[in-house]
Amino acid sequence: MRAVIRAYDALLYTMAFIAALTLVWLMVSVVVSVLMRNLGMQPFAWLFTSAEYGILYMTMLGAPWLVREKGHVHIELVTAALPPSLRRFVSRFVAALCVFVCVILAWYGLQLFLTNIERNNFDVRAYYYPRWLLTVTFPIAFSVMAIEFSRFVFGSDLMHSGEAGIHE
Amino acid sequence: MEWFEALGLLVGSIMVLMALGMPVALAFLAANIIGAWVFMGGERGVVALLNNGWGALTIFALVPIPLFLLMGEIFFQTGLGSRMFSAIDKLLGRLPGRLSYVTVIGGTGFSTLSGSSMGSTALLGSLMVPEMNLRGYKSHMSIGPILGTGGLAIIIPPSALAVLLATLAKIDVGALLIAGVIPGLILAGFYIATIYIQTRIDPDAAPAYDVDPMSAGEKIAVLMRDVVPMIGLMVVIVIMMINGIVTPSEAAAFGALGVLILAACYRCLTWDSIKKSVRGALRVTLMAYLIVFGSATFSQLLAFSGASRGLINWATGFDLDPTLMLLVMFGVLLVLGMFMEQISIMLLTVPIFFPLAATLGFDPIWFGLIMLLALEISFTTPPFGLLLFVMKGVAPPNTTMREIYRAAFPFILCSLLVVALLIIFPILATWLPGLG
Amino acid sequence: EETITAVHAFPETLIYTQSFLSFVDKVNEAGAGVIQIEVRGGPEAIGMMQQPDAVRDGIVDMVYTPGSFYGGALPEKDALVASNLTAIETRQNGGLDLIDRIHQERMGVKYLGWFDSGVCYNLWTRDEPSFDADGNLEVEGLRLRGNAVYNAFFTNYLQAQVIDLPTGEVYSALQNGVVDATGWTQIGLIDLKWNEFLNYRIEPCFFSTDLGVIVNLDTWNGLSDEAKGILQNTAMQHEIDSVNALRTKRDEDFAALDAAGMTVVELEGEAKANYLAAARETTWARMKELMEATPTAVAGYDDLIAKFYDPAADN
Ligand code: NA
Ligand code: NA
Repeated sequence: MRAVIRAYDALLYTMAFIAALTLVWLMVSVVVSVLMRNLGMQPFAWLFTSAEYGILYMTMLGAPWLVREKGHVHIELVTAALPPSLRRFVSRFVAALCVFVCVILAWYGLQLFLTNIERNNFDVRAYYYPRWLLTVTFPIAFSVMAIEFSRFVFGSDLMHSGEAGIHE
Repeated sequence: MEWFEALGLLVGSIMVLMALGMPVALAFLAANIIGAWVFMGGERGVVALLNNGWGALTIFALVPIPLFLLMGEIFFQTGLGSRMFSAIDKLLGRLPGRLSYVTVIGGTGFSTLSGSSMGSTALLGSLMVPEMNLRGYKSHMSIGPILGTGGLAIIIPPSALAVLLATLAKIDVGALLIAGVIPGLILAGFYIATIYIQTRIDPDAAPAYDVDPMSAGEKIAVLMRDVVPMIGLMVVIVIMMINGIVTPSEAAAFGALGVLILAACYRCLTWDSIKKSVRGALRVTLMAYLIVFGSATFSQLLAFSGASRGLINWATGFDLDPTLMLLVMFGVLLVLGMFMEQISIMLLTVPIFFPLAATLGFDPIWFGLIMLLALEISFTTPPFGLLLFVMKGVAPPNTTMREIYRAAFPFILCSLLVVALLIIFPILATWLPGLG
Repeated sequence: EETITAVHAFPETLIYTQSFLSFVDKVNEAGAGVIQIEVRGGPEAIGMMQQPDAVRDGIVDMVYTPGSFYGGALPEKDALVASNLTAIETRQNGGLDLIDRIHQERMGVKYLGWFDSGVCYNLWTRDEPSFDADGNLEVEGLRLRGNAVYNAFFTNYLQAQVIDLPTGEVYSALQNGVVDATGWTQIGLIDLKWNEFLNYRIEPCFFSTDLGVIVNLDTWNGLSDEAKGILQNTAMQHEIDSVNALRTKRDEDFAALDAAGMTVVELEGEAKANYLAAARETTWARMKELMEATPTAVAGYDDLIAKFYDPAADN
């Protein structure tokens, strides 16, 4: 069991690390393509396209890590007004709703991914890019997000602090 | 389903989920699942939602925001920001709220660089808020001006939103851009007045600590060493834009690179500061972009279900005199702006509002500018103002919702005041374009 | 009375959308009591690039969109892009029936009509274009704005320096000199105000617009014969009407541009023939490659070329 958890944690942090590298890549790709252009060269089209696709990969691969970090902004209005015992219940209930949403999106994300393979869909920009390479992020990201949210349903740590305000 | 029932279902579900404390992005996704199920025919609606999501997240226009955030984070984490703001403190002496003024003036200057509110807010927020917080500013003195100047970015040219509005409405792009200059500067002036009034009412809002007196020579030395290089970097980027070396969307990458180089020159660039910067920029970006992912479809559901079109037709269906009609249209833009993103609002309202404005005898440039001001305000209106969430990402951790709304409120009033001025003195919008 | 829903790819104020909306009005008039089209909006209702999937999946019944927006699923759309004919001729010679069958086979949608055809693309430049000794266009130093539709032509044949930019950024890019040339349809430059910066139009024009109406096949098959007849007949009439309306519009736009100082520069003789051939053949090559990767039983490459390209029409 411990090995499974360790492997899972490694997956989560590897995904976040790739997201961080992608952010740096955004800078590099823009700088290189502007420099090439101004030196009179033709910038590689993949510099531009990789930045566009990079935003999706970055967001999807990093989102589960941000759940663990409690970085997805939420508003404490109801949870701040409730007595502690009820607040714990509402907090776990909201986390359970989030698990439910993520499971739905992971499931239909998987359907979309399979449809894209079956239909042989391409995204047409500078290149014909197989669309499943984009949509494969959905089942992965939302499954891991569902696991992360379920930690706030069953674990000792709660998503909500009970202090009024917008929280990360 | 009637338009108001659709509106009630969509807006109601998002409000309830957000109030319950669901993360904003998840609340949007949940409301979208409900909406897609009802209006797009069940399961295939949910698949369409996901299809929309990747479409909304693979556009180049989103590239600047993480890079501006990265630029601000490097500035803060390497201590460059601390150097510059200490220098400004020394130079400006005892002026209460000086960093708030610096924010407005810097932000106005930066608006001439940036065409995007999100980018502008991301940069100023990550640049200014942590430093101002450390220096004992109350959060509304830092958050308010930044939210205000973030909106200036779309009034003062260049402005991607203004170009799109002019194109959709088939009015003169150049004229609309130029028309924004005077109202934009008036708005910046109002912001400065607001800060002055706030420091008068509440002297503790901004720290007024003593500063050691300096000779003119020392002042120049400090200025040259700690302020000029950073300002110089901004100037270089503006020049690169004016000369067509980079597009406004590309400028952010050079901003981030420039700060990295500056930090290296000052020998304060460490691995640790780079790691912290990327991590900080990534956190805010991920938070904002998952909201973009969720809200893209929400705007579309409001349109596809007929809810927003119904609202527009209902509101503009009354027979009122021109000024009242203008206020009705302005009100519709504000209401839509609470729940929809700006481009969708324009696509929906332009085909209805501009012909109506023409029959009412409005100058199209003047009317376009008032629309831009409404869109600018809608970026910062609760419950859904993306700038509010971007600000949250860079604000001190214990900032409450009320504080952020309270900070935004006086600056929203300033925008409303500019709209009132434009209604009374249309020449403020029409004079400058008329010269060309 | 049956009702079907529709969305359009471009904003409502754009001329091509207006054309589609006039088609809808005609259907709703002719179809009173039988068939009505309910327009749900444009890209604000369903994202531009998601509309082809939406009609395929039955979220909406009808979509008006360029074929290039679903070129990944249907490479044969390039037959329309590289066509030198309009919907009028290709309806008569059976080309559009072929395209319809390909749509049904590949995407499960009915291809109802090719609207706003006969509009082609020009290169527009800020500075006076120069020519080499053979009369070919010199692209050295030209900063050309491109996109997925014409980059094969621009980069592979013209070997121009192409800068990819979203349409919304082109105005300020022209203003700042990030780009100083772009391809665009004959119509619409004035609406985008790009003519403030562009001073030369290079003839001949190349390519064709590929805007069409596609309908979900299950929806289509479920309609009464009377409703199908009204839709098909109105679409065929609009194919003809829109060609004529846009020709008039093109002449008006060209006249307005001429009056404002737009200079027309023409390629001649062999240089012209090579230029047109390159635009066509780079596009066909792309189509052929993709068709071979995923062949259909419906139509081969040569059938399509025969229906959509008439060498005689080039003269
Ligand atoms: Na601006
Ligand atoms: Na808002």
